[in-house]
Amino acid sequence: MMGNLSLSDIQRVLQTADVGQLPKVRISVLRNITIESLAPYLRYAGLEAGLDVVLRFGDFDNVVQESLGAQPGLLDETTDVVLVFEYLEALSPTLSLRYAEHSPEQVQTEVYRVQELIHTVLEAIRRQTPALILWHGFEPPLHPALGIVDSNGAGGQGSTIAALNDFARTEIAALGGAYFVDLERCRGRVGEMGFYDFRYWHIGRAPYARDGLREIAAEEFKFIRALRGRNRKCLVLDCDNVLWGGIVGEDGLAGIKLSAGYPGSSYRDFQMELLQLYHRGVILTLNSKNNESDVWEVFDHHPDMVLRREHLAAWRINWQDKVSNLRELATELNIGLDSMVFADDSEFEVNMVRELLPEVQVIHLPVKDATQSRRDLAASGLFDTLVLSNEDRKRGALYQAEGERERLRTQLRDLDTYYASLAMKLDIHLSDEFTVPRIAQLTQKTNQFNMTTRRYTDSDIRRFVTEERADVICLHLSDRFGDSGLVGVAILTYHETSATFDTLLMSCRVLGRKVEDAFLDACLQLARTRGYVQAIGQFIPTAKNGLAADFFARHGFRRVEDRDEVQRFAFDLTDHVPQAPSFFEHIKIDFVPNPPSPPDPKSVR
Amino acid sequence: MKARVLEIVSNVLNVPVDRVSEDSSPDTIKEWDSLMHMNLVLTLEEEFGVHFSDEQIMEMLSVGQIIRTVLELVP
Repeated sequence: MMGNLSLSDIQRVLQTADVGQLPKVRISVLRNITIESLAPYLRYAGLEAGLDVVLRFGDFDNVVQESLGAQPGLLDETTDVVLVFEYLEALSPTLSLRYAEHSPEQVQTEVYRVQELIHTVLEAIRRQTPALILWHGFEPPLHPALGIVDSNGAGGQGSTIAALNDFARTEIAALGGAYFVDLERCRGRVGEMGFYDFRYWHIGRAPYARDGLREIAAEEFKFIRALRGRNRKCLVLDCDNVLWGGIVGEDGLAGIKLSAGYPGSSYRDFQMELLQLYHRGVILTLNSKNNESDVWEVFDHHPDMVLRREHLAAWRINWQDKVSNLRELATELNIGLDSMVFADDSEFEVNMVRELLPEVQVIHLPVKDATQSRRDLAASGLFDTLVLSNEDRKRGALYQAEGERERLRTQLRDLDTYYASLAMKLDIHLSDEFTVPRIAQLTQKTNQFNMTTRRYTDSDIRRFVTEERADVICLHLSDRFGDSGLVGVAILTYHETSATFDTLLMSCRVLGRKVEDAFLDACLQLARTRGYVQAIGQFIPTAKNGLAADFFARHGFRRVEDRDEVQRFAFDLTDHVPQAPSFFEHIKIDFVPNPPSPPDPKSVR
Repeated sequence: MKARVLEIVSNVLNVPVDRVSEDSSPDTIKEWDSLMHMNLVLTLEEEFGVHFSDEQIMEMLSVGQIIRTVLELVP
């Protein structure tokens, strides 16, 4: 990763890199400092994430003007990310270099001015562009104006600046699609002298040193990776010398290193970090050359194991090569290799995966540095997501259930028997306040079974929910292996006598179980109950939703004329008799009628 | 040493190495502006493991001067 490379290494890589084929990410930078030297680090981080970084710097110290649109093309519909640097020493001498000479009232006046500026800039940027906004927080002083008593009581420079950062965080949360980049954290990792370069601060208003710039770019890319869906979802773990020290097949259960004290504590702490990732929704799996029974003996009987079998979604414990195992795990869990991270202590295994499966990200954890393994995993930032929904926090468990289902599927020959054995329960209802974020998230993330691929924000969904002539319908699925949560969304919009599927999507996690059939029936039922005589299905082809192309046609819709790129299908609701497949354990449909009265079709005719 | 400096200048400024000589300066290479000078200084420091003073940075305005400065710092 970028951590080990010098600036010239990076520049050499960038000069020979072929980025022509990569998707572009357009980054605009608003700043009151010289920060052009961030460019090579951003480009390199982009390359690592498979993205071609296209950078535009706003003019020096023009943040307010440009946020208000002073420079055409800097902020618009095509901008993906906006980086905002307001360096405190340039923005406010009163709060930085000249803090001590000011009265509390003067400080407060200045705080109000800076708050106003934060508010104005953020709001104004949002009016120009829907891009992801990354606001860089002020760095609290390392050597505060009031010396060692600065932290005693209110009125210190440190607490004043911390309060301004809190204000920025609140503004950012209210704005949506904006995030706080914690430069204090970046500085902490690098240390003061590695983070700043005072020579270039004075020569050219460029405060940050190489190590600082590299750390800042890496931090920014944690957000950008997540924005562009380049974050990883699954961690594939070796066992011997990764989860515990030593080799269980040779050293035996009592001989491996895993304990509260040294040397087993490194491995125990590493497992605790794994458990943290599990609770953030990361899918944990094993890929180990071992006898399966030896590994399970450790999981089931070692008193210091933190990780349990129930945290694992799938495993390959065998003597097959690890590359084949990785491929099989991807198939079993229905995820891409580019969603996987492979962690192993062996240089041989790590290099083989790098060579043969370059899309898999590799973390090498050499045994000699075992004490550092927990930190290296936590610092990777590979699994960061822009939101942590309740679904994410359960996701590890969801995929574990998926693995069990797959194992069951291989035992059962007849599909309907298989479906029935899942004991699927569907709960279909209208959206409420609690489901809005998850629905918006699904519209943004779902690519395969998504008829129109229309991406909506929380507020868009809320508008549909409150809109009289629309219904937002959602589907919960659970089965004998667990609760899959909210996995299906339909948005019906009503016009005259027709109900149109503005959106119809299902999470790919639950495809192949006929759930979508039952969901479509329920939606048609609702439209019929509301008094509409015709349903219109829409399909907008994309590179990824081919599997849904014939969905409406297969369910009795007939093709009618296209509108622009939208394929349209019509269904006569007057003779619609819903028939859900019989293998569901139960289907609960709960459409609390909306207050507005349904139109009377006869009067429209 | 001299060859390495020439190579670094060529790499950082992204100009062919045959366009770089000891006489090269911001006046002869148009890519060599103040921002590029900063990148050049940072890269040289990293490559040779040295730390220039702010005065040295401001004086290093030709490849020849860069070589002399680096030689002072690298034993």
